[in-house]
Amino acid sequence: MKMHAKNRNVAIIGIGQTSLSSHKEDQNQAEMVHEAVRNALADAGLKIGDIDCIVHGNMELFEMQFAPDLWHSLGTGAYGKDEYRITTGGTTGATLVCAADNLVASGLYDTVLAIGMEKLQEGNTTGGITNMADPLWFRNLQTGALTGTTAQEIIDEFGEERAKRAAMRYRIMMDKHAMLNQRAHRRLGLEYSQMEDLMANSPPLVGELRLIHMCSQSDGACAMIFTSEEKVKQGTKNPPVWMRDHIQVHREETIPNLFGFNKPEVTHHLAARKLFARNGIQDPVAYFDVFEMYDPSAWWAVDWLREFFLLTGDEHLRMLEAGDFDMDGRIPINPSGGVIASNPIGATAMLRLAEAALQIRGDAGGHQIKKEVRHALASGFGGTFWSVLMILEKELNWQEVNHD
Amino acid sequence: MATKRVAICAVAQHKNDSDLWHKRFQGMLLDVLEELQAQAGFTFDEETGVNTIVSCSDDFFDARTISNNGVTDVLGAQYRGEEKMAQEGLNAVGYAQAVILSGYADLVLVMGHCKESQSESRRMISNMGFDPFYGRAVGLDNLNAAALQARAYMKKAGLTEEQLAGIVVRARQLAARNPYANAREIVEAGKVVASPQLCDPIRQLHAYPVSDGAVGMLLASEERAAEFTDKPVWIAGFANCMDSYFLGDRDLTANFALKQAAGRAYRKAGIADPRKELDLVEVMDAYAYQQPLWLEGLGLCGDGEGARFLDQGGQEKYRVNLSGGMLAGNPVIIAGLYRAAEAALQLKGEAGERQVPDLHRAVAHSTTGAAGQFHSVLILER
Amino acid sequence: MTEYFGTTVADIFATMPKRFKPEEAKEVDIAIGYEATGEGGGKWKATIKHGTLKVETVEGELTGCKTTIHTDAETFVGVTLGKIAALDALSSQKLRVAGDPKFLMLLLPKIFTPYAAPAKKPDAVTARDIIATIAERFRPEKAEGVAMTIGYDLAGEGGGKWTIVIREGKCAVREGLADPLTVKMTMEAKTYAGMMVGTIEAVTAFTSGQVKIEGDMAAAGATAKYFLKYVVPGATEAEELISLRVINSIEQRFATGPVMGRWFAGIREKKFLANRCPKCGRTQIPPREICAWCRVRVHEFVEVGPKGVVTHFDIVYFASPDPLTGAVRDTPYATAYVVFDGATEREAITLDLKQEDIPRLKEGARVRPVWAEVTTGSYRDLIGVELDEEEGSI
Repeated sequence: MKMHAKNRNVAIIGIGQTSLSSHKEDQNQAEMVHEAVRNALADAGLKIGDIDCIVHGNMELFEMQFAPDLWHSLGTGAYGKDEYRITTGGTTGATLVCAADNLVASGLYDTVLAIGMEKLQEGNTTGGITNMADPLWFRNLQTGALTGTTAQEIIDEFGEERAKRAAMRYRIMMDKHAMLNQRAHRRLGLEYSQMEDLMANSPPLVGELRLIHMCSQSDGACAMIFTSEEKVKQGTKNPPVWMRDHIQVHREETIPNLFGFNKPEVTHHLAARKLFARNGIQDPVAYFDVFEMYDPSAWWAVDWLREFFLLTGDEHLRMLEAGDFDMDGRIPINPSGGVIASNPIGATAMLRLAEAALQIRGDAGGHQIKKEVRHALASGFGGTFWSVLMILEKELNWQEVNHD
Repeated sequence: MATKRVAICAVAQHKNDSDLWHKRFQGMLLDVLEELQAQAGFTFDEETGVNTIVSCSDDFFDARTISNNGVTDVLGAQYRGEEKMAQEGLNAVGYAQAVILSGYADLVLVMGHCKESQSESRRMISNMGFDPFYGRAVGLDNLNAAALQARAYMKKAGLTEEQLAGIVVRARQLAARNPYANAREIVEAGKVVASPQLCDPIRQLHAYPVSDGAVGMLLASEERAAEFTDKPVWIAGFANCMDSYFLGDRDLTANFALKQAAGRAYRKAGIADPRKELDLVEVMDAYAYQQPLWLEGLGLCGDGEGARFLDQGGQEKYRVNLSGGMLAGNPVIIAGLYRAAEAALQLKGEAGERQVPDLHRAVAHSTTGAAGQFHSVLILER
Repeated sequence: MTEYFGTTVADIFATMPKRFKPEEAKEVDIAIGYEATGEGGGKWKATIKHGTLKVETVEGELTGCKTTIHTDAETFVGVTLGKIAALDALSSQKLRVAGDPKFLMLLLPKIFTPYAAPAKKPDAVTARDIIATIAERFRPEKAEGVAMTIGYDLAGEGGGKWTIVIREGKCAVREGLADPLTVKMTMEAKTYAGMMVGTIEAVTAFTSGQVKIEGDMAAAGATAKYFLKYVVPGATEAEELISLRVINSIEQRFATGPVMGRWFAGIREKKFLANRCPKCGRTQIPPREICAWCRVRVHEFVEVGPKGVVTHFDIVYFASPDPLTGAVRDTPYATAYVVFDGATEREAITLDLKQEDIPRLKEGARVRPVWAEVTTGSYRDLIGVELDEEEGSI
């Protein structure tokens, strides 16, 4: 991909989250957004007057609120400021981060506040996702984001027993991480001793996708503050976390043609391949210290680890089985508990970035990784297998991205 | 280092129509894409082509969650980066400029679409832009919020029924020369004054007609613009601004957000006095009263002087809405993108019958939300 | 009985008949078994048949239940009171459902009003306690110019006779009944206490004859506004959180255009018309204006099928309600990914499989379309696919 060097470096200097829950009857949408914004400003030690520009995003048909940034401006603090509203479905939170990165790097704005939000309890989530499908043809067939095809593919490739154990090991690992994260929504207290029982008895949803494998529906918001290297040099309250690079890969509207007799390169694989190549990262498992992955279900998560890390064969399963993705493993996945634990859709992908940045700062609290985190990877997922992948760095010392 | 300037290299518009019942918006966008490729000869090559697309559409108008997912293929975005501007499309141009200035991409395709005719009522959609507790319950929508603003502004500026009719008559005369306009029939002032009240004081002919349309542009870095055009139009400045949400918190005739947005865009473009430095103006006039009101906000005349400005020939002096403006019909989601397209065509010298000479700098404007809660201003140069 | 969250499992079942909404259960015919383990647990069976409800305790095996819920007593009470999220309990297997959990989650809130734990404190409050607070709850600003005497004759424990005098912005309470009275109210002391703490509805008490009013009826109705609401000592009143329920719907009319239009014209004739990319040759189904890969307009239509091969399938056990109608499909149902004969190998389409064929469905199975009796050129023309076993290829 033709790219110039980044015009200037961009850092994350403020992170704010709301609690994530299916009960937020005590806040309306604008108030919930405001809670995240207030927390981000406090984290950065800034006032709203220090912000030059706001970027807002969610999926408006979930709440059935047209142009929601207009009303939400009561909570975003956009009054009198430049504001953009950018959305891309499930990837929205990650796209907002990309947009904030671009807006600061462009030199047009010094300090940008990005906000992703969703109040899923105020709408019909599965109905909202079903409305993604073309009204003329697929809408009558789609069941939200529930599908068992990936489970079946993993079973076909690795055998039923190993595949089911891998998905359940991943799921219990995520719950163990979520139990350490006070903000996580679903915290179940699962134990590995429950594996056999859950594999056999968790209520089935679609094929081998069972209730226990699937993500929750949450209400919540996330806000992040981005600023330029010049501003960082004037001092920041918390250590800056640098946005090194990002890549977005979209594809056509049809899902069924990912499940014919063979399939094209998976978007996640393409995103990882291009991003790592242009940043000179040969061995992503060795390079990164943490990966916050957008994992809507345990089955997809298991499959996607192979794609994102450019692994082949059963390498990803062997790593999972060996505990390499645990909190104290080689490359911890989702210390936050991931999307399976908490999923306020418009904020979800931004939460991946926020959690990865907190790990780099050492501010993740109960779910902080023990070893030092210098290089972090975060992903977003949405649409019809759309992918966003982003690299965060602790130090401003990498080779410039330059592919002229 | 990244580029210092961004050019609009190519512009394509789908003709606006009141009811394109025979065509999906995918087909409209594909016409626009083919037209752009024919003009500028760009590709989607991974090394040298377009790898980033900024689209503009709306989930409510498309009745589709993730509206950009329905058009990824006709945007050329297969296995490429794409971002949807979920605001009026002029902001997509502003954002695309930032993407190129950041160094992330050197070519960006901007593609917007909207079919207002697909929905039972655009007023029902804008009603859902209000909070569900109060605004929706009292029945607010973009039309009746505009009517509150219209009445306040007519009183403040002394704007008369005859002047409103004059704005519409002129818009139609100009639209007759614009092959992409929707409402191109000439109307007499008497017919405007006699047209039924939609929401007093806004009459039917004061309001833009229901419209379907699509617009595309190719933007490039300064270094690459010459590969695609010998008449680049440069983005000199862009800014936008948000006003208060509650109508009661605003002075509806004060143009707070527009003045802020225009001031910031002028500063970026190095414009000290817009009255001396602008040659052409395209404003998003969804309703006739808005044209003089927004011209005040852009600083082309003083506060409350919009009506007098019309009588003094301000529209001709600043070549206001030579395209016919939004009054001739553009969908609300991309009406500002159409303004930018028309301003760019004029600066390129490719505006056909509506072309005027001696242009150096133009402004394109758009607004989103009830009674202009949000405004965007783009400055273009030759 | 052991209490959890201030209530017992037995009380939840004891109140079931009171909470039952027969009008919502006219179409329901189901027996639900409950097994709550641990202290305070037990087994219960609720039989709901055409608007009637029978609740019984069960010794030994739970039999004849279409659906059975197994859980520990604490989780059962917690879920019933909303202290534990049902989905969490279900996910972590603390609560198990033999049968269809989705069905229960939709059905139970419809046919029962929610269980509320019995309020303890208000029972302990007597009429005498409440009368004692009247003077301090008086709102002079609401009683400007009001002059009236109200008599209360409250029988039974904690009762007595009192007269409340409101005059010149002041309020006084005296023992005994004065004469004359503007209005006199006679009732059981516990009825008065119940009305004041909110456990008994005033209108119901009056219409059912529990309260007798003599004198000025309007004056009796007006008294409430002269006083602040009585609050049980030590009780903190939770703020009422109001939600608005709205169904938003805007009618749409979608164009099909020349490409999708051609597909529907084919469907009307029971033909599958894909369009073929002039560059890569892929057969797009349903057809689209452009080939996303080659970025060229696609003109050529080719007929594919009508038979094809199943590459993947989804067996759906958990049907989502239709977002517009709320209707829930019968489960399980199957969605098959089918590559039609003559189509290129990646271009699958999803179609419903006939329900009876689900047990015999395998990857690689051959299928044929099932058409509606009358085809009109819409997605409803194609009901789905069924196994094509005539060729013996399964």
